[in-house]
Amino acid sequence: MDTRLRKTIAEEAAEYRPLLYRMALTQLKNAAAAEDATQETLLAAIEKADSFERRSTLRTWLFSILRFKILDVMRDQSKSRRRDSELPAEHAVIDDDNSRTFDTLFDDSGCWIDTKDVWTNPHTVAERDAFFKVLEVCMTRLPARTSRAFLMREWLELDPPEICRELGISQGNLRILLYRARMQLRLCLNLNWQRD
Amino acid sequence: MTNPITCKDSTWLVSESRERTLSKEELQDLEGHIAECPYCKGASTQFAVLFKQLDHYLGNSRAEKDETG
Repeated sequence: MDTRLRKTIAEEAAEYRPLLYRMALTQLKNAAAAEDATQETLLAAIEKADSFERRSTLRTWLFSILRFKILDVMRDQSKSRRRDSELPAEHAVIDDDNSRTFDTLFDDSGCWIDTKDVWTNPHTVAERDAFFKVLEVCMTRLPARTSRAFLMREWLELDPPEICRELGISQGNLRILLYRARMQLRLCLNLNWQRD
Repeated sequence: MTNPITCKDSTWLVSESRERTLSKEELQDLEGHIAECPYCKGASTQFAVLFKQLDHYLGNSRAEKDETG
């Protein structure tokens, strides 16, 4: 094992600690468990440093390690939940009155008011990094439950029925949460992403 | 002639399409609406950029497919 590589990975990975912790906390809802998952992810990254291919970025590599840690914890939790036959922690019904949430974006006939800006995919590394930075900030602004459901879908890539079971919500409620997250991210990026 | 859908309806379909394949009718409604509505055309481009970049940011399996194919 190349100790220099290990040291480089260790130093670079440490910078992602706050982000990894935030992602873990969103899913695990428990500071100690999130801290453990973050720590284990960083240790695993150092351990497996020589399997890291620069093809993926360090961030996505760390995300993929953390993803497996979180899925493990979630599996354990749902096993012990079944044993204790208790309900998932969150099963409160969310308000279904979604129809009004984004109404200010549309006029009376249901037509868009705000989207004249044309977006194109960022081309350079710098542009992409700038986009990611805004995306990151916009994601932290999502309400906790919305963000959790959204990342279960988009990051952990769980199927909708699994997410519903985990969160104790209906399919209809999940669709609303995912819709809100996507609408909110688009709006936030539209307001904050500086294009030239 | 399909039933006209609103811009708001079209945002629902765009979101739904991340979870499931839209039905033929839904797809027709959506595409028909977008073709006639410059705002929705803009919005759907924005969503396409958002989804693509999100996949790459998170490094999920869609991003891998995007890179290999």
